[in-house]
Amino acid sequence: MSNTDTSDSLITTDVETGSNDRTAPSNRTAVAARDLNVFYGDEQAIDDVSIEIPEKRVTALIGPSGCGKSTFLRCINRMNDMIDVCRVEGDVTFGGKNVYDADVDPVALRRKIGMVFQKPNPFPKSIRDNVAYGLKIQGFDGDVDARVEESLKGAALWDEVKDQLDSSGLDLSGGQQQRLCIARAIAPDPEVILMDEPTSALDPVAASKIEDLIDDLAEEYTVIIVTHNMQQAARISDRTAVFLTGGQLVEYDDTTKIFEDPEEQRVEDYITGKFG
Amino acid sequence: MGTDNAHAGGFGEVSRVRGIVFEYLSLGASVLGIFALAVLLVYVTIDAFDLANASPEWLLTYFVTLVVPYLAFCLYSANDRTLTRRTLGVLGGGLVATAVVFTAIETVVRPIPRLTWQLAYLFVVALPLTGYVTYVGSRGRVGQVGFGLLGRLIGGTAIGLALGILFLVFDPRLWFLAYTLGFVPAAAAYGYGRLRSAPRAITAAIPIGLLGTVAAVALRSVVDTYPTTVLIYLWTLAIPIALAGALVAADRGGRIAAAAVGGAPLALAAAVGLFGEAAGLGIGGPNALLVLTLAGVPTAVFLHRVADVGEGAVGLALPVLLAVGALAGALLVEAWGVPAPDPWLNGMFVTEAPSRTPEDAGLYPAIVGSVIIIAMVALLSFALGVGTSVFLEEYTAGSGTVGSLTRLLQINIANLAAIPSVVYGLLGLGLFANLLGLGFGTAVTVSLTLSLLILPITIISAQEAIRSVPDDLRRGSDAMGATRWQTTKNVVLPEAFPGILTGTILALGRAIGETAPLIMVGAATTVFSPPSSLFSKFSAMPMQIYAWAGFPQAEFRYGVVAAGVITLLIILVGMNGTAILLRNRAERGH
Repeated sequence: MSNTDTSDSLITTDVETGSNDRTAPSNRTAVAARDLNVFYGDEQAIDDVSIEIPEKRVTALIGPSGCGKSTFLRCINRMNDMIDVCRVEGDVTFGGKNVYDADVDPVALRRKIGMVFQKPNPFPKSIRDNVAYGLKIQGFDGDVDARVEESLKGAALWDEVKDQLDSSGLDLSGGQQQRLCIARAIAPDPEVILMDEPTSALDPVAASKIEDLIDDLAEEYTVIIVTHNMQQAARISDRTAVFLTGGQLVEYDDTTKIFEDPEEQRVEDYITGKFG
Repeated sequence: MGTDNAHAGGFGEVSRVRGIVFEYLSLGASVLGIFALAVLLVYVTIDAFDLANASPEWLLTYFVTLVVPYLAFCLYSANDRTLTRRTLGVLGGGLVATAVVFTAIETVVRPIPRLTWQLAYLFVVALPLTGYVTYVGSRGRVGQVGFGLLGRLIGGTAIGLALGILFLVFDPRLWFLAYTLGFVPAAAAYGYGRLRSAPRAITAAIPIGLLGTVAAVALRSVVDTYPTTVLIYLWTLAIPIALAGALVAADRGGRIAAAAVGGAPLALAAAVGLFGEAAGLGIGGPNALLVLTLAGVPTAVFLHRVADVGEGAVGLALPVLLAVGALAGALLVEAWGVPAPDPWLNGMFVTEAPSRTPEDAGLYPAIVGSVIIIAMVALLSFALGVGTSVFLEEYTAGSGTVGSLTRLLQINIANLAAIPSVVYGLLGLGLFANLLGLGFGTAVTVSLTLSLLILPITIISAQEAIRSVPDDLRRGSDAMGATRWQTTKNVVLPEAFPGILTGTILALGRAIGETAPLIMVGAATTVFSPPSSLFSKFSAMPMQIYAWAGFPQAEFRYGVVAAGVITLLIILVGMNGTAILLRNRAERGH
């Protein structure tokens, strides 16, 4: 994980879109897809998608409902394997290795990729046990409490819960629960964090906290986020991929480019709200 | 703000007649069913305790010494003036109303057999009222303390006695070896691993335990000098339980408190267990040790907690209040010389063997048999039921050949639940007694048969419980890189546990009352000594009750059978109560 050299190509992104001024795009690719096709039974959910997602950036996947962006996200950590009728063709590479190769253990793969779901789903356990869950199942033998504290701080939740680590994770508010899920996802120190509409079940205040958090997370992790909220994508992401109906990746570029000067008319129509 | 009122004549009416008729019909049917059951239970109780021969003076004495102080305690705990006023009102008004209605029925319609208006008052007014006041009172702080203490005393005693019964058939010496060679080293390895955070020691704990157990089984036939049973219980049960109590206490208070909480009951139990009989206390021996430990340690932990919280300590007086009340009642009745009932259900009934004469009849061997059978059925059906349902719900695919096979299995399990119990008896006779040669009417055969009988119910209810665990949680765990087993163990089972327990409780209730399969596999109707091994002849409470019901003497059919039924019900309710407490605790756990 290099790319710590930030001095040579500092670009300030456009203020109007509210994008952050993080350093230049990394040249290293964290996750890539090549000629990816996904079918649910006879129905095609993803149509020939090829994409390269840079390391330690926030990449947003946007598009109307049913366009295959969540499906694409689940291809990366092979959560689609859980769906009986789902069939995947093509390559998805993570760290240069095709995750659909026969010698890849999906369980081991998922330990390197954290995931945050649309609806906060903390386990009915204490806050401490929630965060330590990944460590426990991976047989982590270091200082669990220190890692729990670190992860909760990383998820901007520590100050709110440090005195109640033994109370149930379900006693927290929706926004806190979602940050707990983020803390749970980062505790085993994954390389990539997948987020499937992480703020759509939250109120605006809680959502904006999560957005700030995502910004911080990108310093250490590759974040891939599916969102319905175009302002959110514009605010937090460095790169944006626009999927349109039929599972096609229509355009993929820097977020500023997509929101200000998209190549495709369809993308412009979607972004300006003409459909979708 | 329209001023032109288009609906001045209202909106018309929609008929609700059918709904209302349905509502009252359902209500009536439920009330009728409950009423019929209540009448039956009242008569069984009257017969079992010979209340028909209780004089009004006798009833009055105990009402004053026992019921009134108890009600006062509950009302004090509830601390609600309205409730107190209403309770007094119901007690007084109920007295007059019951007397008037009862007398009216007796004179106008016809005499009511074996009931007096005083008894009617007891069952119709005093008992339900006491139940309700207990419910309200137990929610107050004082009541929580009082009933908590009472529950630990009674529960600990019951579990101690049940353990003693189980050791009648399970070899205490084998247990001693397995505990010493398997459990202790495994626990030591685990404890060391936790303290020094050495995961390898934790992983090694289970193999160490298994190895020790195997060694114990091998050594059992070689070694022939053993400590006495009292010492075995002391080492394998009393000391670890006291240690656990001390650990709980150490969590809240200092070392001294912990030493007292663990040490005091242990010392008392050990002293009584070892020297009680020699000192002429009248109690002693292994069972006294078990009871004193199992009741004493939780009580000590509880007392420590109450002292720590410092609220509602008055509640601790409840057991004293009841004991003094009962004693005072007995003394008063004795001094007054009023005729007292001669209950069929007394100490002798539950500690003696059956007899040809009703006065000497006892249920002890059947109680022992039932307890052993229930313990084994609970263990077997819980393990098999949870295992099968986890397999069906979590491990099998929903489609393809495996999916079709699973569905076939599902349908079969659902149908098995509807098969008459006699058929299961036949299966037990053929499979376990004949084919596997486990013997006719032995505890093993009976337990296996009954487990098979309730297995479909346990599986179906456990499946429901597992299915009701939200998929979100499973996906969350999977996405963390948990294996299927880790997800099941860490997320699904803890969440489904209360539901699984509910199903098992219901199923066990059925198993404990079954008679037909027991007859089929050749369980004895009457045995005169408690079983000494899993392969000796067995009886169970329903079998014995069924046998008595056919005896020619009327005393058997009215007195002894009723006493047996009440004993069966008390054990059933106690068992279910324990399981429900466990479940509620598990539900509160998160």
